Formats: sequence, C-alpha cells, structure tokens
Amino acid sequence: MDSLKVIDISKKFGEKYALNKVSFEVKPGEFLSILGPSGCGKTTLLRILIGLLAPSSGELYMDGKNITHAAPDKRGMGIVFQNYALFENMTVLRNVEYALKLKKETKASARETALRMIDIVGLKEHINKKPAQLSGGQMQRVAIARTLALSPEIILFDEPMSALDVATRLTLRKELKRIQATTGTTMIYITHDQEEAFAMSDRIMVMNESVIHQLDTPENIIQNPVDEFVREFVIHNLAEKTASLARFNLG
Amino acid sequence: MKKRKFSATQLFLALFFLVTVILPVLTMFSNLVSADIGKIITDKQFGIAALHSLKVSATATLISITLAFLLAWCMTRTNIKGKGLFGAIILLPMLIPSISHGMGLIILFGQNGQLTNLFGLNSSIYGFWGIVIGSVMYSLPVAYLMISDILRYEDSTPYEAASVLGVPKINRLCSITFPYIRKPMISVLFATFTLIITDYGVPVMVGGKYNTLPLMMYNEVIGRLNFANGSVIGMVLLVPAVIAFIFDFISRDTHSASFVPKPFALKKSIVRDALSYFILIITSITLIYPIITFAGLAFNTKYPSDLSFTLKHVLNTMEKGAGHYLINSIIIAFAVSILGVCIAFACAYFTARIGGLSAKLLHLMSILSLAIPGLVLGLSYVLFFKKSFMADTLIILIVVNTIHFFASPYLMIYNSLGKLNANLEDVGLTLGIRRLHIIKDVIIPQSKLTLIEMFTYFFVNSMITISAVSFLAVTLTKPLSLLITQFQHLMLLEASAFVSILILAVNLIIKGLALILRHIILRKENTYYVNKKTV
Repeated sequence: MDSLKVIDISKKFGEKYALNKVSFEVKPGEFLSILGPSGCGKTTLLRILIGLLAPSSGELYMDGKNITHAAPDKRGMGIVFQNYALFENMTVLRNVEYALKLKKETKASARETALRMIDIVGLKEHINKKPAQLSGGQMQRVAIARTLALSPEIILFDEPMSALDVATRLTLRKELKRIQATTGTTMIYITHDQEEAFAMSDRIMVMNESVIHQLDTPENIIQNPVDEFVREFVIHNLAEKTASLARFNLG
Repeated sequence: MKKRKFSATQLFLALFFLVTVILPVLTMFSNLVSADIGKIITDKQFGIAALHSLKVSATATLISITLAFLLAWCMTRTNIKGKGLFGAIILLPMLIPSISHGMGLIILFGQNGQLTNLFGLNSSIYGFWGIVIGSVMYSLPVAYLMISDILRYEDSTPYEAASVLGVPKINRLCSITFPYIRKPMISVLFATFTLIITDYGVPVMVGGKYNTLPLMMYNEVIGRLNFANGSVIGMVLLVPAVIAFIFDFISRDTHSASFVPKPFALKKSIVRDALSYFILIITSITLIYPIITFAGLAFNTKYPSDLSFTLKHVLNTMEKGAGHYLINSIIIAFAVSILGVCIAFACAYFTARIGGLSAKLLHLMSILSLAIPGLVLGLSYVLFFKKSFMADTLIILIVVNTIHFFASPYLMIYNSLGKLNANLEDVGLTLGIRRLHIIKDVIIPQSKLTLIEMFTYFFVNSMITISAVSFLAVTLTKPLSLLITQFQHLMLLEASAFVSILILAVNLIIKGLALILRHIILRKENTYYVNKKTV
C-alpha cells in the first residue's frame, strides 16, 4: 500500500497557479526530495501536505484514508522548518517533551520518549541547554527530535539546511539518513540544492512553475532527463556543484 | 472552531476601539454642528490664544530639541563615565506631572520665588518665557529618548568610508548625517511640538494672563461648561497631532528591524568629553534642583529659611485627603497597566502574528491614540459617556488613560512579537499544540521583559497625567495629580510640593521594582547559560 497519495492538487493565489494538478505517490520508508528553483511551488505543496494550507482542488490520501481536510496534527505527519522554530525559552528536553505532555501522556512516558528521541539525534549531552546555546546544526536536530517524538509516518523538511554552513550540512545529511534507517520514517525533503537531493534521495521530484517535470530515481534522471529544464536546472548545475565541492574537499 | 474563537476576540477588540475611540471622537465632532465655528475661530480671544500657542510651542520645541540633541550626542558619541546616572537624571522629569514643572518655576522664580529673592530678579516668570521654560523641562526627556534612539541606531560604516576617502568633516555632516537624521528628526519635531501645544499643565501654572489654546479649552469646558466651544478648540488641537501621526506613520519602518548598526569607534578627545561633562552636569542640576526644592518645601519647617525637619506639612496634606487621592491614583494606574498590557498584547498578537486586512485595520486603531491629545480625548469621553454607568466612576478614568497611553506600549509588544520565529504557531498546529498553549508557554515567556516595560509605561503615565482625566474626574474619583492645581489655587505651596514628591516616589518605586524584576529575569537566564556552559 502507498503511504501517501497526492491526486490532482491545485492551488490558486488570485488568478495565478502556485500548483497546477500535481499528482504523485510516496512509498513507505522512502526518502523523496522535491527539487526546484524558488517560486516553483514546492513550499506551497509542503504546506498543503501537512494541512497548514488548503488546496483549491484535489485530494490527499494517507493509507487509503482521505486526509484532504484533516487537521495538521491528525495526518500522521510532522514538519521541520528551515528556521528551526524551536521554543527558545525551553530546554532541549522540554522542547521535545512539551507536545507529548500536552497529549496527556504520563510524565514518565513523555520523558522517556523525549530522551530516546534526543539520543537518536545525538544530543544526549545537551538536554538541559537552551536553543541559544546550540549551534545551527544542533538546533535543527532538536527540531527533528521534537517532530520524531510524536512518531509520525512522514516527516516533511522545508529546506532544513539552507541556514547551515557547508561542513554542518554534510554531517547532518548523513545523520538524517541514519535517523531514517533507525526509525523507518518516510521523509519528504524540499530543497533547491541539486547536490543535496542527489546525495540523499531514493527518488527526486523535479518541479518548476507549479508543475512536476520529472519524478524518478537519481540515476534515471541523470540518464534520461525528460526535458530541457531538467537538463539545465538539474544536471548542468549538479555537475558544477560537484566540481566545486570536490575543490572544497581538497582544500 | 479555533478560528471562530479568534475572530470572536478580534470582534471584541474592534468593538472595544469603536466604543472607546471612534464613537467618543465622533460625538465630539457632532458637537461642532451646534457650535458657530466661524464665530469662535474669528473671535479675537481665540486668535490671540492660537497665536500664543504657536509662538510658545515653536520656541519651546526648538529649544527642547536642540538641547535634547546635545544631550543625546553627549550620551552616545563620547567616552564619558556615569552615563547610567546622567541618563536616569535626564529621564527623571518624566516621572512627575507637567503641572509640577510649572509649579517648580513659580517656587523658584515667582513673585516671591527663592531665586527671585536671591538674585533680586524683577522680571516676571509668568507669561511667554515661563511657559517656554516649563514646556522645555517637561518635553526634554521625551525628545531626548527619541533622539538618542536615532543616534544609537546610526551606522558608523558610512563615516568610516568617508574618513578613508578623505571627505572633509563638514561634507560628512551634509552628505551623511543630515540625510540620515532628517526624516526621524522631523518626526521628533512634530511629536515634541504636539506634546507641548496640547499641554495645559504648564500654562495653567505659569501662564498668567498669557492665554493658550489648551488653557482656553480647559476654561471653556471646566469653567463655562461650554462644550461646543471646547469641541472647536479640541478640533484645532487635533490638527498638529494628526500631522505628527501621519508623518510618524510614513517614516516608521523604513529600515528593517533586524538591521544591526555598526557602533561608532570613539576616538579619545579630552575637549569633547570635558564639554560633555559640563553640559550634562549643568542640565542635571537644572533638572534636579526643582525636585530638591519640592522635597525641601514638603519636609522642612520653612524652606529655605528654616531647614529643620518636620512632618507638619505632610500631615497637613494628608488631612486634606491626599491619602484618599493617592489610593485613587494607584488603583487607576494599576488597573490601566493591567488592562492596557492585556489589550495591547491581544492586539499585537493579531497584527504581528496573524496578519490580514483586519489586522491592518486593528494596527491603525491601536496607534490612532497617538493622534488624539489627552484634552480632546477627555472632552470626547465627557460628551459620549456622560449618561452611561461609567460616568463619575473610576472606570471611565481607567478606560480613558488606557486609550490615551495605548500606542507606545502597543508598538513595544508589536515589535517584539514580530521578531519571534514566524513558524511557532505552525509547528504547534502540526504537533497538536493549541495556539493558546503556544501563547502561554512559548510567546509570553519570551516577551516578559517587554511586558514589564509596557506595564511601567502605563503605570507611570497614569500617575502623572492631568489631561484626559481633568474633565472626567469628580471629587471622589480625583487622582492625586489633579490635587496640585487645587492646592496651588489655595496657595498651599508645601502641600502641592509634597503631592509632586509623592507621585515621584510612587513612580520611582514602580520603576525600581521593574528594574529589579528585569535583573532577576536576565540573571536567571544568564546564570543558566554560565552554569550549563561550564558543565
């Protein structure tokens, strides 16, 4: 069974389409990247998937259940934002256990889950620190742990590494894949960075101007780009980036 | 469901402003219909008062701004020590009513004033110069606060570039300084002018026969119960306030809030610093001297000839009901602070974190009070609420002050809420955390310092205000500040001096408490960091 099915989702802002009849499926445990230039509609799509934005038309199914109009917290999804959106006044531990406690879990079980999640993201030594004392990469891990704590089937990532430096990005990439291997969570990952998408994804969805251009494995996209845009935006840029990254690694 | 609850709050806020701002002001305007506007405006007395108001306010504004600029420059562009102390002294006059400044002038320079006798002065303080000096003392801290903000946020990078390029100093002034400060300074100019031209506290004390518009309005309403004439003058006083408001509205938000200016690297300069000390010390003495005189009058047997300590005047004043009025003032100030902080927070939450068209309107309503002088607001309330249950109660004084002082604290919390992470509520939604929980557990804890600052702003201003409340207070509900005129009329100098000291003391206590609370909060956060970092 497919875990998430997106059928003909459109979103209009005024007269302009931000998304035009977008359809795809996401398989359980998959790492899917949505790759496209800014303004292509990828963030709009993400907000519709999680339920922060209502689509103009189209439907969403999760395990066969229609979730098009379900509340954001009733979809079995979590989201990690680029700017972390941590609760600055709370410690790492409280950030992670706060939602659990509100869900009337017992104190002990909320704490236990939170500690386990913090351990998974590798922040065990930092549970009593506040976000202001952490690095960008560490803050993003707290955000991931906070989302994981509610054991969602899918986690959405909205360009989670754009604010981080190159070295941190490379580490966090590996971490993210490791976390996915540990938890088996499906991940949908938005990025405009070709290199990032190709390094992490099982499949990549290339978007531009509110439509999907190609949805395939990284290998297939490289071997058979469907059109000029994919060739230009994905493959050409990828070649340049890998070259400069190679230089970076050498340096 | 959630959405509906919030639009209910929004509806409540809209209704609140409708009843407390829009309808009262419209009532005042409707009063104009029954007034013969042409006759009043062409009246000779009105013409004289208007001219007086313009002359006094223009002169006082120019002096006040020049002095304020000088002080702000000394405080931001020099290496002097004791800036904290000087800063506190400059702001001290903000803690007493404008009427006290007028009284201070009378005590020092009046017909039998101490300095008049000491130096054998024979020119009278009453009239033009009295009002100008009093207005400068009263508006100086406000202008100083605004200008030091401007100077503090000026970026030093262009100056460094100019200095590297060898641009002469005089050219730097014309091509860097003036263009940068022009817009905000015009804002300050209008704001200060409005503050002065709408004040009646100073002229009522030292005006003598020199009539000004607020004074005339006050006398029309209080003395002759001529509300129509009062409304016409009120409308005229609205003009500068509305211009100031529009100007401020346009020039606000021109630079981004997240911009961090590069501070000025200050060169060593003994001459500059010595000159600054001189200016600051002279100003400090001038500002503190009247307050010391108040204390002397209140606690010495016969200041300045007999300096022995006595509680005679204090007990005398208390016997005349000062205690009752003090309690009134404190009740009003507390209620205004709590109500004001709550409503300002609710408004700012909508305007800074939810947005949309209705939020824009709410924002406009929230800062509209900047455009309504206290006297005008007071008269509007008299006309609109005279038959309501609120008339002649403390409630009307609480509401009018909340509205009168609403804009500044609102903008404080608006700015601070706007700086918090924009995705907090979204994260909450996806984690199943209700918005109210996010507000209670995440947003309010991060806004504590701003909330304290708002509280003190409302409190201090409610303690010192005499404008809006002067039309609305009755014998039983009168706040302490209005007692000063009353005692002054009865020639009870010691009593009115003691009342001023009392107001100052209460305000200092509140300011002190706020400062301590701020320290505790900051220290808690800091020790937290220090402890955890060493672990």
